[in-house]
Amino acid sequence: MVKKIIALTALSCVTLMAADFNAQAEKDRKDLIQYFEKKFSDPAGKSRSFFPYVDEKELKDNYIKGLKWQDFAKGSYSYAKAAKEQYLEIIDVPPYDDNIDNGEELYGKIKGLKQCFPDPAKAATEYPKFDDKTKQVVTLTGAINNCVVKNGGKALGWKKGKVADIEAYFAAQAKEKGLKIDVKIPSKEAQKAYEAGKRYYYAQRGYIKLNCANCHVQGAGQRVRKENLSPLLGHATHFPVYRLKWQGLGTLERRMGGCIKNMGQQPPKPNSADTRNLIYFLSYMSNGMKIDGPDVRR
Amino acid sequence: MKKLIISIAALATLSYAGDIMKIDVKTTCDVKKNGVEKVLAVAKEYNPQAVKKGLEFKRLGVKNSAAIKAIEATVKAKKKEVVVEVKKKGKVKKQKFALDFATERACKFAVRALQQDVEADSTYRAAIPGDGYKY
Repeated sequence: MVKKIIALTALSCVTLMAADFNAQAEKDRKDLIQYFEKKFSDPAGKSRSFFPYVDEKELKDNYIKGLKWQDFAKGSYSYAKAAKEQYLEIIDVPPYDDNIDNGEELYGKIKGLKQCFPDPAKAATEYPKFDDKTKQVVTLTGAINNCVVKNGGKALGWKKGKVADIEAYFAAQAKEKGLKIDVKIPSKEAQKAYEAGKRYYYAQRGYIKLNCANCHVQGAGQRVRKENLSPLLGHATHFPVYRLKWQGLGTLERRMGGCIKNMGQQPPKPNSADTRNLIYFLSYMSNGMKIDGPDVRR
Repeated sequence: MKKLIISIAALATLSYAGDIMKIDVKTTCDVKKNGVEKVLAVAKEYNPQAVKKGLEFKRLGVKNSAAIKAIEATVKAKKKEVVVEVKKKGKVKKQKFALDFATERACKFAVRALQQDVEADSTYRAAIPGDGYKY
């Protein structure tokens, strides 16, 4: 009996401690959800003040109101009516179907992948993961590359091609099962990595003097030329993504690099600590949201 | 011992932050006032630090380090026009800049990249909903 009590107490302590490590991240995530739900509650009416540079008529005609948390998994297509219509037309015949098939084939063919990722759907939900042995964040792209190299193969790259196709297959499996993003912050070091990613996201960088939030939090929904800026909430749900600009599929690492370049800074390498921590933060913000990848974006 | 090392590291960081923030880019990077060589030397001093910290500025496909290299070559050749080669989609394009303008910008980019990072320590939370960002 005493042993049982001790074991239970120890287990509760461990659980409590584990919960502590993500306490700040949970607060950040919930605050973000609250912000976006309020912002898109009624853009043409009650939440008008969130859109200082958008024309009344446009807010009335082109914005969908009353959005809730899970809606944001569709990015800017959750609120931009015209863009959503075009998107729905495009995915009538999804341009990434061949990539999923190729990914499935590669998953069966490349040595070690089946052993490293026995459940592809689950893999799509739980990365990026914090590796307590190496004390660093491992993204799904990194994990696939590590696995291939460990099994005597050559790394598949970080941005597109085979690695993106494999991720497309994993994501499609998760989407089919209705799985959700489930990123964990299991330790103090993981918490530090999360905080570093958060700082990277919210810190001003590049010669244009922007931070990521200028466009994807405060600026989400505003237009840059004809594109409505996408929300941070749900950014990690739809990767790998088929971008019309790329005419192909790309990983989250590829997209991050492009975004940072647009801010006027030389982007960090896709396997650098900066990129990994940034993806960790970004993915945590999408925790609990349904996987919707691969998907199409402009 | 560990505490001492942490304190020394913290002091070093503070002193670095103080030093870099003392630089007034407008006057330090003024080519007319200081001359190309002096301004270029500032860019050469600070840009490698920005590169090391992953903060290097890049504009129109040109990394600041590439711009500095091209400026150095222009000064050596005693020319007035900086030519930077930019690779885009497999093709190499040449971009031309006036020497004074390019030098001033390279200097400003090098210093501001570092200053911006120091400023971010106290400003980044102002953008976080539920923290510093009020709406």
